[in-house]
Amino acid sequence: MNLLPDITQGASSFPLLTLLVAIPAVGGLVCFFLRRHAAACRWLSLISTLVVLALSVVYFVTFSGQGGWLLYEDYPWIERFGIRYTLGLDGISLLMILLTALTQVLAILVSWRRTFELPLFFATILFMEAGILGVFLALDLFLFYLFWEVMVIPMFFLIGVYGHGRRVYAAVKFFLYTMGGSLLMLLGIIALVIIHAGQTGEITFSLPALQGTVLSPETEWWLYGAFLIAFIIKVPLVPFHTWLPDAHTEAPTAGSLDLAGLLLKTGMYGLIRIAFPLFPVAAQASLPFLAVLAIVGIFYAAWIAFAQLDAKRLIAYSSVSHVGLMVLGLCAWNQTAVEGSILQMFNHGITTGALFIMVGMIQHRAHTRDLDSLSGLWAKAPILSAFFLFFALSSLGLPGLNNFVGEILILIGAFQANPWWGILGMAGVVFAAAYTLRLVKETLWGPPDETPEWQDLTPREYIVLVPLAALVLWVGVYPAPFLEPIREPVRLMLEGGIFTALNGGTP
Amino acid sequence: MSAADLAALAPILILALGSAAVLLTGAWWPRCAPLLWGGAAIALAAAFTAALYSPPTLEIAGFFRSDGYGRFFTVLWSAVAALTLMTSLRYAEERHFEGGEYAALILFGAAGMALLSASVSFVGLFLGLEAFTLVLYILIAFHREDPLGAEAGLKYLVMGAVATGFLAFGIALLYTASGTFRIAEAMTALGAGAEMRPVAMAGMAMFLTAVGFKVSLVPFHLWTPDVYQGAPAPVAGLLSTGSKGAVFAALVTMWGGLEVGRDLLEPLLWALSAITMLVGTFCALRQENLKRLLAYSSVVHMGYVLIGLLAGGADGNGAVVFYLVAYTVVNLGAFGIIASFSREGGEPQNFEDFRGLGYRHPLRCGTMAVFLFSLAGVPPTAGFIGKFGIFYAAVGSGYILLALLGVLASLVSLYYYLRVIIVMFMSDIAAFPLHRGTFSEKAAVGLCLLATLWLGVLPGALLDLITRIL
Repeated sequence: MNLLPDITQGASSFPLLTLLVAIPAVGGLVCFFLRRHAAACRWLSLISTLVVLALSVVYFVTFSGQGGWLLYEDYPWIERFGIRYTLGLDGISLLMILLTALTQVLAILVSWRRTFELPLFFATILFMEAGILGVFLALDLFLFYLFWEVMVIPMFFLIGVYGHGRRVYAAVKFFLYTMGGSLLMLLGIIALVIIHAGQTGEITFSLPALQGTVLSPETEWWLYGAFLIAFIIKVPLVPFHTWLPDAHTEAPTAGSLDLAGLLLKTGMYGLIRIAFPLFPVAAQASLPFLAVLAIVGIFYAAWIAFAQLDAKRLIAYSSVSHVGLMVLGLCAWNQTAVEGSILQMFNHGITTGALFIMVGMIQHRAHTRDLDSLSGLWAKAPILSAFFLFFALSSLGLPGLNNFVGEILILIGAFQANPWWGILGMAGVVFAAAYTLRLVKETLWGPPDETPEWQDLTPREYIVLVPLAALVLWVGVYPAPFLEPIREPVRLMLEGGIFTALNGGTP
Repeated sequence: MSAADLAALAPILILALGSAAVLLTGAWWPRCAPLLWGGAAIALAAAFTAALYSPPTLEIAGFFRSDGYGRFFTVLWSAVAALTLMTSLRYAEERHFEGGEYAALILFGAAGMALLSASVSFVGLFLGLEAFTLVLYILIAFHREDPLGAEAGLKYLVMGAVATGFLAFGIALLYTASGTFRIAEAMTALGAGAEMRPVAMAGMAMFLTAVGFKVSLVPFHLWTPDVYQGAPAPVAGLLSTGSKGAVFAALVTMWGGLEVGRDLLEPLLWALSAITMLVGTFCALRQENLKRLLAYSSVVHMGYVLIGLLAGGADGNGAVVFYLVAYTVVNLGAFGIIASFSREGGEPQNFEDFRGLGYRHPLRCGTMAVFLFSLAGVPPTAGFIGKFGIFYAAVGSGYILLALLGVLASLVSLYYYLRVIIVMFMSDIAAFPLHRGTFSEKAAVGLCLLATLWLGVLPGALLDLITRIL
């Protein structure tokens, strides 16, 4: 438990975490003002996302294997309300930062050839990156809320301006749904802060401090409910999932990638970092209910996914199903399952992101995502098809690939917590095989259609897909480097002491 | 009136005398643009005087505060006048407005607003309120060739006259009950044991009715959309910010520490706030005209401000003052953008006129989007901090249900603000390009944008200032 030295070591004078948030934010601003210079914006965006990726890889390598809070920044901000600008990095956020940085590089790369208002497109992606990184780092509730909302606005424009089909409908639905949840959370935050101020006389939004608030059971339930709704809308758990298929389907590829890879993870992260630690009693009591919702979600979404005709919609529903399994892992509330869930958050970002990217590539060539019209891709573009098959197999949990590792950890943990959860979760994985294989069968196999020859993967597409495939294989074969950073934070979280070190350590 | 009083009144005197000077100059030398610039300079001079000169006396003749609070609002409304004049330059010239009269009226209106915000006596309150209401009667109908403008002017005149009647009668009754015009002492007549409590209550009810007309609380809001629609855009900006903000500034002084009569007033204000938020929100949903939308949005915002007023205390009053500043900056900017788009033929008002405009005029449409997000209370804008302060005060004082209603209204309001953004950025057909805008218009809007973002990211300085002056 020698966590204090880590903090003092982490509290470097140079704001390394602010740098992560600031680079994409500044890049986005510059893109906004260089509206007429598409080429410059392309490279600027790529470079800023690459720098963020490089930084997060450096943090990942440097801090690998250390427990506790790795980096920490704390400055006064709005003193009237005791609001501070507090960022902190632990193993869980580290993994999420890495995922975010990687996903945004890919989002830039897959959108490279766009033409319509490209600088603004990249500006939205960069602003979103800043917001998401902020969510994963903020340790002050006000700051967290700020980032939480800031990341939604770019996504609104990304879907609404650059999307397909019913883009405006999807964008508004997404925006209102998430805002509805987060406004309730805002009231919850305010109420918690006021109760805390009443008890200690100190107005503060700091997560570690608020964790010590004494709440009556009834109040705790109300406040927990306010936070919970905000987070499970974002996760999303059935029955709060209805925004997701529309948003994912109508979004441009980069948008689907960010939605599935990152925005859903912010909901899970909120549960882990904020809702569960702040309201431990209510959270414990709610776990069985959440587990039921999660299991219902796994089956319901898998069933709906199986019936889809649109490849993107099928993957979108598969996301809901996968997310259900991750929440189930959280509900099991033991080391194995929670570690599995967090690893699975990372895996799902990689695999589902890759699938969305590949559907984008197929749509670019075939001009359709309709499973009835697509057929025989293997004959027309074998390498593309091979990659598609590879990621699809990863998604259905083939042993040796990344999703299998996460799923097996979740299932083992869930079985320990409640055998039925394990058994039902396992059955859900079988369902996943059904819809994934249908996706593969409808697109890859069968006779090729009459349309002219396709170009197989371009070099740019190789650059996007090869690292993803490598990661899929790496996590599948040797997951230790990815599990190691989260072990200690998960243990602390389960003990309810994730912020203990910070409480003692902050000035 | 002593020399010290006169010195304390200096910013107001600058506004009023400057107004007279501009008016006379305009009579001999009728050049629109220089007169408007001159008016803006006078307003800025008043603002700087109020900001920098701290008079030794705290009150002027028992009518007005000259402490930090009074000076704060003098600065604010003078700045509003300056910005309004800046956005009016081309607008006034193209419509052949008499520059001298226009600038003089706006300066005089600012003086009235400053006086009203600072009033501690009912006489001062009445003087201030009537000063700028008179000005607005004229300004709303200033464009004589516009039939909508004339209609709006008449509507405001009739409603305003009725409200004035209520106000005068209400003040008379309060005076009868308390024997004083000093607001703080007059309020004691509302106390539970007061001798003429029913009379005082009737007076307060009439007073509230007048206030309801002025700041357009439901059910006294019906004039708002028509008047906004018909008034020239810069004047509508002044109308929606200064004329409402100044009333609330006076109400903070009046009810800030409301202890007496709270039992009777509280349910009334509670209901007014709730119904204002809900009705305003649902009316705004159906608008197809940006100015009418902003009118209903202002109705909703007054409902939020009322929550802060009801919560009271340092938190509530501070939240109200911050909210007024944030709301003023944003609304002034939004109407400034409409003015900057206007052509000689008229202003773009209908959503149709804004279709796809985000790609023709990206900077101003982007700025408009920021303003709309701020009105909706989305971070990182001033509107979010303002709304946060209101909700904080409401929850802290136990008005949970009102805060929930506010959240609900905010959520629905997002939809109608988004509609404008969707029209500007997400429609395929593009409307005709509008005016390119002039330097002064863009500078004024840019200042508002800067303030909106600045207050959204670093509100600390203003919050501290407000804590000090309250």
